[in-house]
Amino acid sequence: MPADSAASRLRHAEPVMGTVFSFDLPAAAGPVLPAVLRWLHWVDATFSTYRADSDVSRFGRGETELADCAPELAEVIGQCRRLSEQSGGYFTAWPGGRFDPSGLVKGWSIEHAATMLTAVGHTPVSVNGAGDVQCAGEPEPGRPWRIGIADPLRPGALAAVVAGRDFAVATSGTAERGPHIINPHTGLPATELASVTVVGPRVTSADAYATAAFAMGPAVRDWVESLDGYEALAITPDGDRWHTTGFPAYAAS
Amino acid sequence: MRRAVLALGSTVAGLILLLSFRSHTGSAASAGVSAAGTGSQSPSAAPSASAGGSAGGSMGGAASPTPAAGGGAGGRVVTGDVINGPYGPSQVAVTLSGSKITKVTVLQHTDDGSNSQQIDGNALPKLTSETLAAQSAKIDAVSGASYTSAGYIKSLQSALDKAQA
Repeated sequence: MPADSAASRLRHAEPVMGTVFSFDLPAAAGPVLPAVLRWLHWVDATFSTYRADSDVSRFGRGETELADCAPELAEVIGQCRRLSEQSGGYFTAWPGGRFDPSGLVKGWSIEHAATMLTAVGHTPVSVNGAGDVQCAGEPEPGRPWRIGIADPLRPGALAAVVAGRDFAVATSGTAERGPHIINPHTGLPATELASVTVVGPRVTSADAYATAAFAMGPAVRDWVESLDGYEALAITPDGDRWHTTGFPAYAAS
Repeated sequence: MRRAVLALGSTVAGLILLLSFRSHTGSAASAGVSAAGTGSQSPSAAPSASAGGSAGGSMGGAASPTPAAGGGAGGRVVTGDVINGPYGPSQVAVTLSGSKITKVTVLQHTDDGSNSQQIDGNALPKLTSETLAAQSAKIDAVSGASYTSAGYIKSLQSALDKAQA
């Protein structure tokens, strides 16, 4: 019995973190999934900026030391600092001076959820958190994952399809929520792009890179070109497109 | 078969619902209450959603299953759960002919404006073509379709689960 036959796949959609996480995994991973879901809800409670008693809220108010918080908070802060440095501050966990690592936590949660499943031998897996996707393995022998990129200018249509194995796809844009990503250096909503999609090995970085790229303005092209191991496709409000030199490697046939 | 429909459902929902979300917000004339929507609509049952757009926001409340509404003229109608997103509740009803989705009705959506909208006649052919395109393209997931449409996807999936399509 092939482990990856259609009949042995399990799909699950979990409302958490104010959005939905969708799982595509082997049916054999079913017994493990509840633990992964519990962990996501724990992350929601621990990292929520909407809950006054969360570790993030208490740490942000200076009421508790990092050492007294869940150790995952230190990991998240470390990742935030790395990505902030890499992006010249366009990605930040301190927007407006207030501690809010939410921009990293979703991607980080997606990546960890996928890792929790693959670490105990369950592949292929894809975890899609609000449109940011981490894929492991290949969905069928010889076939890569195929991820559609929503067209920000033609609702309901796909702008492109990317394909890959053990890879991640993250998109930032105005398509669904309007201008909502603030350039932290100007305090104004970013309007240079309609969307930017970043593809690469891990969704934590891909998501943060996409957020930073979207906020960055004219410098974005050189910056995404400089990213090691990650490629980008951008669509402007006028419908123009550009991509990094390595992006075509992910183009789906 | 079941898997095919579900896979199609979640992919198409993202497409449809982007489609419906956009086409309806700009088209007041399309706001019509369908037969599917009238019997089961209960906006007051939806817990209030948190404001704000952060990924770390409070999670949506658990949706209580809504009994399927009576069948309309076009086939079996199944109403999905109310899914609470950061911007409010989402809910859809699907009309099925056998296991084929023939119509998706948006009962609640998270934008401002009418709470009960139906994909109009102009959108349905587009929907069908998107469905076929997604099928032929074998898309496993969609990147960039997030937040509000995720609620629709979840609601649609719950409707399909109830329909055992």
